[in-house]
Amino acid sequence: MTNLNADLAAPRPRSGRRVLPRWSPKLAIGVGIIVVIGLWGLAGPVLVGDPDAIRDIGLTAPSGSHLLGTTQTGQDVLAQLAYATRGSLSIGVLVGIMATLLSALFGIVGSYVGGLVDEAFSLLSNLMLVIPGLPLVIVISAFVPASARGSWTIAVVLAITGWAGSARVLRAQTLSLRNRDYIQAARVAGEKRWRVIGVELLPNLLPLLASQFVFTVIGAILSETGLSFLGLGAANSATLGTMLNYAQNGFALQRGAWWWFVPPGLIIALFGCGLALVNFSIDEIINPRLRDIPRRERGNRRREPRPAERLDDGAVLDDGAVLDNGAVLTVRHLSVTYRTENPVHAVRDVSLVLRRGEILGLVGESGCGKTTLAYAINRLHRPPAEVTSGSITLHDRDGDDLDVLAFDRDELRAFRWDRLSMVFQGAMNALNPVLTIRAQLDDVLTTHRPAMSRGERHERCAEALRLVGVDPRRLKAYPHELSGGMRQRVMIAMALLLEPQVVLLDEPTTALDVVVQRGILRELLRLRTALGFAVLFITHDLPLMLEVSDRIAVMRDGRIVEEATAEQIAAEPRHPYTRHLLDSFPSLLGERGAFIRAGEDERGEAARPPAAAPDGGIAAEEVR
Amino acid sequence: MRYYLRKLAFYAAALWGALTLNFFIPRMMPGNPVDILLAKLQQRGANVGPSARRAYELLLGGNTDESLIHQYFAYLGNMLHGDFGVSVSHYPTPVATVITASLPWTVALVGIATLLAVLVGTGLGMVAGWRRGTWLDALVPATTVLAAVPYFWLALILVAVFATKLGWFPLLGGYDVALSPGWNGAFLSSALRYGVLPALTIVISSAGGWLLGMRNMMVSTLAEDHVLTARAKGLTDRRIMVWYAARNAVLPSVAGFAISLGFIVAGSIVTEQVFSYPGIGSQLLEAVQNDDYALMQGIFLVITVAVLGANLLVDLLYALVDPRVKTTG
Amino acid sequence: MSAILEVHDLTKDYRLRGGLRRPVLRAVDQVSFTLTEGRTLALVGESGSGKSTIARILARLEKPTAGRVVLRAPDGTQVPGRFYRDYVQMVFQDPFASLNPFHTIAHHIARPLRLHGRARDRAQTALLVDQLLERVSLAEPALARRRPHELSGGQRQRVAIARALAPGARVVVADEPVSMLDVSIRLDVLKLLARLQREENLAVLYITHDLATARHFSDEILVLYRGRVVERGPADEVILAPRHPYTKLLAAASPDPLARGRAEQIGAEDEIDAASAATAYDHYTGRWTGLQAG
Repeated sequence: MTNLNADLAAPRPRSGRRVLPRWSPKLAIGVGIIVVIGLWGLAGPVLVGDPDAIRDIGLTAPSGSHLLGTTQTGQDVLAQLAYATRGSLSIGVLVGIMATLLSALFGIVGSYVGGLVDEAFSLLSNLMLVIPGLPLVIVISAFVPASARGSWTIAVVLAITGWAGSARVLRAQTLSLRNRDYIQAARVAGEKRWRVIGVELLPNLLPLLASQFVFTVIGAILSETGLSFLGLGAANSATLGTMLNYAQNGFALQRGAWWWFVPPGLIIALFGCGLALVNFSIDEIINPRLRDIPRRERGNRRREPRPAERLDDGAVLDDGAVLDNGAVLTVRHLSVTYRTENPVHAVRDVSLVLRRGEILGLVGESGCGKTTLAYAINRLHRPPAEVTSGSITLHDRDGDDLDVLAFDRDELRAFRWDRLSMVFQGAMNALNPVLTIRAQLDDVLTTHRPAMSRGERHERCAEALRLVGVDPRRLKAYPHELSGGMRQRVMIAMALLLEPQVVLLDEPTTALDVVVQRGILRELLRLRTALGFAVLFITHDLPLMLEVSDRIAVMRDGRIVEEATAEQIAAEPRHPYTRHLLDSFPSLLGERGAFIRAGEDERGEAARPPAAAPDGGIAAEEVR
Repeated sequence: MRYYLRKLAFYAAALWGALTLNFFIPRMMPGNPVDILLAKLQQRGANVGPSARRAYELLLGGNTDESLIHQYFAYLGNMLHGDFGVSVSHYPTPVATVITASLPWTVALVGIATLLAVLVGTGLGMVAGWRRGTWLDALVPATTVLAAVPYFWLALILVAVFATKLGWFPLLGGYDVALSPGWNGAFLSSALRYGVLPALTIVISSAGGWLLGMRNMMVSTLAEDHVLTARAKGLTDRRIMVWYAARNAVLPSVAGFAISLGFIVAGSIVTEQVFSYPGIGSQLLEAVQNDDYALMQGIFLVITVAVLGANLLVDLLYALVDPRVKTTG
Repeated sequence: MSAILEVHDLTKDYRLRGGLRRPVLRAVDQVSFTLTEGRTLALVGESGSGKSTIARILARLEKPTAGRVVLRAPDGTQVPGRFYRDYVQMVFQDPFASLNPFHTIAHHIARPLRLHGRARDRAQTALLVDQLLERVSLAEPALARRRPHELSGGQRQRVAIARALAPGARVVVADEPVSMLDVSIRLDVLKLLARLQREENLAVLYITHDLATARHFSDEILVLYRGRVVERGPADEVILAPRHPYTKLLAAASPDPLARGRAEQIGAEDEIDAASAATAYDHYTGRWTGLQAG
């Protein structure tokens, strides 16, 4: 999914898809618990005595000779615990393997093959999911005579009733993977179906499969314990459940023999906890967003970085440009750093002046820091990104100069959208899918204009939609009911709702078709003339900026390498990177670009100025 | 509309599947349950006529000359009339009557406990996800221990501490047997007091799952673009947390309700056993111990219908909370 | 110059899930064209125009509802279906999605080599993999052993091109091959494609929404609108002298670095009317076809 935060996330090392979980304290503890309990189940029975030996010392408390005391009939609890752990673990793993195989068959194969097979498999697993499992197991167990109830019978029954949940999860993931281009590419290459599933698809499902296996093992151990506790488990088997069953029937509870019934439950709880901790680490592979973020001291986080140097208003900028009286937004010497292990200076000493009512194009490729800069202006950047120096000043309509970096939480909230609003790239994702358009427009007004009545708010929302050429009846619609262009128009209406002085546009039309893009830009230019807001337009599309903006700033590696009027940039670009960018866009009607067909070798890139890194360099690094 | 029709059709199919399962399980198993059952009845001095025998045979199979298909439809007819046969352990009470007496206890217990668990778990999960990177993160590993604890073992511990040791709550049962059941204050407050520990068991063991699911979804949702938009809009944290993050994050939990409910129902059956709670779970186990196949089958069906009903309800609710399903689903 | 891939009256319908009537969406409507060795044909259109569906049909990822795709060997005989993929390969749009994150670069190129019988043993495969990587200007040592996430987007797309060439393809379907790349490397990748085409005399189908690269990269352009071809002709003619209202609209809407200040001048048309949508202009015959005539 394309993500607005892409630029913010840029400095994260490109770890890609991991196969093994990252080592973390959670994982270490989890693995530790599992290993200890696993070893106890494996080796314990060898170390302890006969669990069934009956002595005439019933229900004695833990002591030197019986570390965990004895049962009602004088059996050693520790010895019983060792065998019971082995029993429970082996049935859990057995069921886990069987159920995971079943879920893989129904979930992965079904959804990859598709069509009727998938429909049937999916219906089956959904049915198995809604029919309550344990009552079914109880009924089945009850019909099997106790003598015929072996461990395998129980394991098979538990596997049959326990695979459906995993199958559903795997199916959803397979459905999303099978349409990935690399699967399609393998088909185009001519791979056989089983190879596509086994070699291309399955490895990418491994983390999920592992996590589902862990789930089924926990589930199976719990179910088996429940069954045995009820006396419906396998005949002659010794598991933690049967131990608890004996404890219950031996009135351990009433007689206060905690050493009898506490340890078996504790082992299950610990083992389940260990598996769950391992699962956390697996989940982090599946969903990297879940990764731990370092804990920060509260005080530390609240501290706003103070600009290293502050200049008095009206002061002269370093480069000698006199501060324009018509300015609405001044950014001075702004630096933003990602405080990661290897700090990344995403924005370096950037100074910008946005004049009232103008369109300033901020042009650069992905990873150049343009989005980081935009977010910092609105203080939307989040840790580890930090403003390390510089100032941001909004020159308010009524003459006040607002120091954006000095705002406290409430001031910042009041400032956002009221003075400076934003339109993001993916209107698809920038609107809340579960709220109506009206609710999303309306909450801006309830927050910023609490004095407005319900009727006034409604009228204002309708008016804003009319302004961008959307039928006000669409207020009732949900985002998914609108086309991409329509959603972006709604976003613009939302951005203009409070008549802000500055509108930040972050690649607002990149995801749209050119005809739709053109329509939206036309509206925007018209509204700019009518309402007089200034626009900071962030994009990679230099030709577009040449057409629509007044001035253009070209950004690269966190710096602004060139800033000039659009005419100057088009006619005589000074910086080699600007020239290279311009050359990257063949002309539609002119002759520039004929070299593609004419056969100039692409290794001509060597002749390019060194400032323009070929792909692979930081400047040209694409980020997703 | 299509969404609702599809859901109804699915649950109708699920119900039919459960009925069919119920029909075939006893027929596939070794042994002849009808003979065992009739022998039991005769031990109790009951006079079993041919019509009673036929009813059991329809339910459980046996040495009958009728074709399977004929049996099947006669069985379906009986089930649809609510005719589950006569209970052996409560002879001559019909199965339906036994179920009617115990069902309200379970529905109230599991219903209230589940609701509480969902509210507490989701609420805490929302806050834990929102305040990621604070001390609340420590909640997460703690919940996994709770989620991995067997329900009935937790029940045992609660009983040991709060009933045996501290004596705050009664040890077993659903109400003070000295009182006669009815809609009066004394009985209701007694039922409430007896219900605290079983309900607590269910809430503690299941809330962790809700918490974890909600927390992880909150973390994912907070990285979504519309949350960023909400922040840029200058909305209050509360509004962003509830209406932009939690409102979306809760959807998978709702959609996955069926899985959670399965665990809860399983857990509460065993929990009822620990507390000798007069609900349907204890009744099921009693039926199993007494080879009361008719009662067992009836209870299985009733539990299934209740679970299907709850899932259907949640699915219908889902259409209200996620506007996208009606058009695309 | 011999025709090698003939597409006749290709039509693709999708059944929409919904209601009892199951409405049908016609994604591709009677599209015909011919791919020739050594030449590039561009399919130009916006999202929903059916251009990617055509690519998927040509790559045999989907079956057409109607119409024929005929592949001819150099001697003019029709190639049987089971050898189709020896000849026709595809480059996907998103280089981040088209390489399997689990496998090495070598795997992606070695598999088609083995599948299409171009390499028999391990040593020969390794040799050919290195040769192919060099052909796409990725001669970095040890690159073959790396995994996709260690490469930049431009490098990945070069790997994808090498993969398409591995079976010895004669026809390359390139579905928006540069639209996901950073602007400064787009032309490099296009130039690479152009060089390979010249050197191997490939037939290339270039699918794009970008009129400017379509004009400069290809010999012939087909403009698609809602599944139908509305204009066809030599690349320069279609762009510089568009006849169909939709082509004119597209050309007017496309940004042009040499057209400063054009934004405000463009008229308020966002749509074309249904009548003209049903017509088509052919620069080769100089004739209009479609409903307008009848």
